[in-house]
Amino acid sequence: MRIFENIHIDWLGKRKIFYIISISLFLIGWANVLIRGLHFGIDFKGGTEIVLQFDKAVDVSTVRSYVEKIGLGFVEIKTFGGETGVLIRTESQNIPKAIFPKVVDHIDNAIDKIFPGIPKTKVDTSASTITYAFSNADTTNELISRLLAAGYQAGKVSEELTNKQMVVRVGIADWIKENLRTNMPDNPFQIIKEDHVGPKVGNELKTNALIAIALSLIGILIYLAFRFKFIFAVGAVVALFHDVLITMGLYAALYGVIPGLNLEIDLTVVAAFLTLIGYSVNDTVIVFDRVRENLKIHKTMPLEELINQSVNRTMSRTILTAGTVLLAVLVLLIFGGEVLRAFSFTLFFGTIIGTYSSIFVASALVLEYANRFQKKVNF
Amino acid sequence: MKEYRFRLILILGAVVLSLYLLYPTYVNYNNQKAISKVVAEKEKEIKASNPQISADKLDSKLKSIEDSLKNADPSINKMKLKSLKLGLDLQGGMRVVLEVNTGKLLEKLAKNPDDVFKTVMKESEKEATVSEESMVNIVAKKFAARGIRLSRYFGNIRQTDSEIISELQKDADDAVTRAMEIIRNRVDQYGVSEPTIQRQGSRRIIVELPGIAREEEAKQLLQGTALLEFKLVKDPELTISIMKKIDDVLAGTYVDSTKSDSSLAKGTTAKTKQSKVASTDTSNKQLSAEEFAAKHPFFAIAMLDPKGKSADAYVKGDDRDKLQLMLNRPEVQQVIPNNIQFVFSAKPIANQNGQPIYMLYCVNKNPELTGGVITNAVATISPETNAPIVNMEMNSDGAADWARITGANIGKRIAIVLDGVVYSAPVVQNKITGGNSQISGSGDLQEAQLLAIVLKAGALPAPVDIIEERSVGPSLGQDSINEGFNSTLIGFLVVSFFMIVYYQRAGMIAAGSLLFTILFILGFLAGFNATLTLPGIAGIILTIGMAVDANVLIYERIREEMETGKTLKASVDSGFSKAYSAIIDSNITTFITAVILYQFGSGPVQGFALTLMIGLGASLFSALVITKVTFDYMVAKGIKVTIG
Repeated sequence: MRIFENIHIDWLGKRKIFYIISISLFLIGWANVLIRGLHFGIDFKGGTEIVLQFDKAVDVSTVRSYVEKIGLGFVEIKTFGGETGVLIRTESQNIPKAIFPKVVDHIDNAIDKIFPGIPKTKVDTSASTITYAFSNADTTNELISRLLAAGYQAGKVSEELTNKQMVVRVGIADWIKENLRTNMPDNPFQIIKEDHVGPKVGNELKTNALIAIALSLIGILIYLAFRFKFIFAVGAVVALFHDVLITMGLYAALYGVIPGLNLEIDLTVVAAFLTLIGYSVNDTVIVFDRVRENLKIHKTMPLEELINQSVNRTMSRTILTAGTVLLAVLVLLIFGGEVLRAFSFTLFFGTIIGTYSSIFVASALVLEYANRFQKKVNF
Repeated sequence: MKEYRFRLILILGAVVLSLYLLYPTYVNYNNQKAISKVVAEKEKEIKASNPQISADKLDSKLKSIEDSLKNADPSINKMKLKSLKLGLDLQGGMRVVLEVNTGKLLEKLAKNPDDVFKTVMKESEKEATVSEESMVNIVAKKFAARGIRLSRYFGNIRQTDSEIISELQKDADDAVTRAMEIIRNRVDQYGVSEPTIQRQGSRRIIVELPGIAREEEAKQLLQGTALLEFKLVKDPELTISIMKKIDDVLAGTYVDSTKSDSSLAKGTTAKTKQSKVASTDTSNKQLSAEEFAAKHPFFAIAMLDPKGKSADAYVKGDDRDKLQLMLNRPEVQQVIPNNIQFVFSAKPIANQNGQPIYMLYCVNKNPELTGGVITNAVATISPETNAPIVNMEMNSDGAADWARITGANIGKRIAIVLDGVVYSAPVVQNKITGGNSQISGSGDLQEAQLLAIVLKAGALPAPVDIIEERSVGPSLGQDSINEGFNSTLIGFLVVSFFMIVYYQRAGMIAAGSLLFTILFILGFLAGFNATLTLPGIAGIILTIGMAVDANVLIYERIREEMETGKTLKASVDSGFSKAYSAIIDSNITTFITAVILYQFGSGPVQGFALTLMIGLGASLFSALVITKVTFDYMVAKGIKVTIG
């Protein structure tokens, strides 16, 4: 079986069309980025995310109504996996001050349920902890173990034997879970995933991601400059920028458009972008490799014709190599599960854009350069 | 045949090595399956006999059944250690990044914090949440801006600001070490299998706890406070008499006769019993190990040194849990006096045939002193003996008690117990007044440093905050494993099918070498103790798609060469050699990004980068060596190679 055998298409003559396609794709995407913004996951924003698996099918709007009643501000709630999974996410780090008294009341009640009427003093309350003092050490220890068993994060303030103080931590996730447990007693749930990222960590991860992307581009530029003429390396890296920017833009444009597909930028998506950078340059290398070879054989052929011929001759393998990767990524997209969906989607989309740019953009840029400076490109 | 010999040996070697490295994974998989089958049956049994059993109790019962099954055969654990490790996202578990709260630490260290101090701390804390600078520097800057010298709150009056800053930095650094040791100690006690606790940067600790089910409890493990106690080690005579009673109870031969004995008589019976134990120890040479275990269930796993001066028992790592269960039995608790308890050493004291050996100490339940009184502990090399020692200082309250305690117990041993396990049990040489003690007997300086950390842990808590937390429940993990496995299989089938349709027989060769590629990746991961994560599986699937790229490049090139009218052999040779540069170049660029990803990524993403790197290497080997050899062989034998 053969595809694209003996094709003679003047791709470079039509390069204006491809410029227009690229620019419009870029504009569509980045108009969306500017208007709607990039949607980062909690990896980069910081916040709390919990995924609950209910025993029976659950209606997201029911969960939403209960969670909204808590008063945490904006909370995102959507289905996860099947109809029994619910993802709840908030950017807040701690329970808002306004509703913290409610939490304190709740814990007071829980203590009273275990030891009715026990004398207790509140020593300290902070954004997420309440510290109680009791009259003797044994009751304190007993209370701590009972509260722990009931699902509270209770602990001793100090490990000294005479310790009479107990600290109870209530994170935002704990409070949501507690509320849902009381409000939906007939549909119990399990926590299948819980992530909490502090604001500082989020910023660091963002910086790291940007550094990694920049370093990859520089690394590839250096390697290709070493293997090819510098202008080819520049052409390839510009094509990579093209791929990353367009994919990112489309990613933003498609956010929320496809139901069931959660397109947020998280750590795995960044990993996908980096892989894309490494992989989509492959096809460019294949074309350039052929251009280099042909430059040695056909010393007098005009560059435009030579590049056209190289692109045509390598067309089948470019499509095939990208095709096998797309097949694998498609399998991952369909069968890989919820956690990897955004990752596979990025790779799928990015590989298509990357292959397109390898064929139509990278070589065109080299030609533009040669035409403008009237330079003879050689190796 | 000769021309292929080297390459064939190379391929065969790689295949055998991969299979060898993956064998433990296979055995482990079967073991786990067998164990979970038994556990599931037991669950049914328990539920049938006791339908009202609470979920908690059922869990703990099943857990102990599972543990005993796992401990029954040491090879199960051995295989598990050698098998392919699964990341937290696949087996379920918790990953927590902790940061030492320098602000709280400074508050604790401050001499006389007044209102100015508190305002400065509040401002600094706010700034620290956004600033990259260290908390100590921020605080120092704020005080400098107000014209206040740091010596007003920290260090002593003669010290300059910069001296104090460097001292505070060191304190913050120490706090991280301390927190790590406290957490490690707790996690070890709690019985989390294969935890990782590592330091990241200057102030962070990453803790990974696989398979933690109770999140609340896990978080308790991670708090930076600890209880340090000094407990008197009981005399060997008394210890052995208690152990003997426990042994009798467990063997079912216990006769309650000692109750009426006076304490003096107890001492003598204990002595005779000690000789009895010693004699059974020698006479049991005739007894087989099983017979001895049946007669002396306690001494079979808590082994005494017949020639030793102390009654500290040696316990194998595998037997530790078993022994703890024995000691917790109510009938055993009855024969252990109320004021006495058995505690293990924190770290194994020796290693026997790869088995860690722990010590079991018998100590007073009530501590003589707790760690709050310690003001400092430093490990050094003693100038006199050249041996590592720990210098321990106490405050005046502690010093007075310490003088009394040491004075009354000269020649006896005092165990240093942190969170319930013994770090050291030095002998009291003389009465220590003034609160400065020297503890010798550490094996090396590192051991002494650990002891110093432990001694300080009781006095100075290391306040830690959880700044990042990720937990995955076991059910999601199992789903991910299934989805990952299915995707890999489907991915392989789809890509192979495509290659075979497009390239016919040559496509089959590509599919075959793809299989080898996957085998190599898994073997490599298992052999290098790497962790397979969900993105790692994605990396394998992606590799499946990328690995055949090399084959495509080679085959297309061969087709091109054949078009120019070359023979098959010549086309194959020049097809391979001309495709090399494009293959190498494209693989190296992907490799570069994978390396960078590995550097900057964390956890699961690193797993992806790792499998991608290994996958690239493996696929290069498969394409350039395996495919080439197969082609060469087929061409030489005149077998028709069709490439579509």
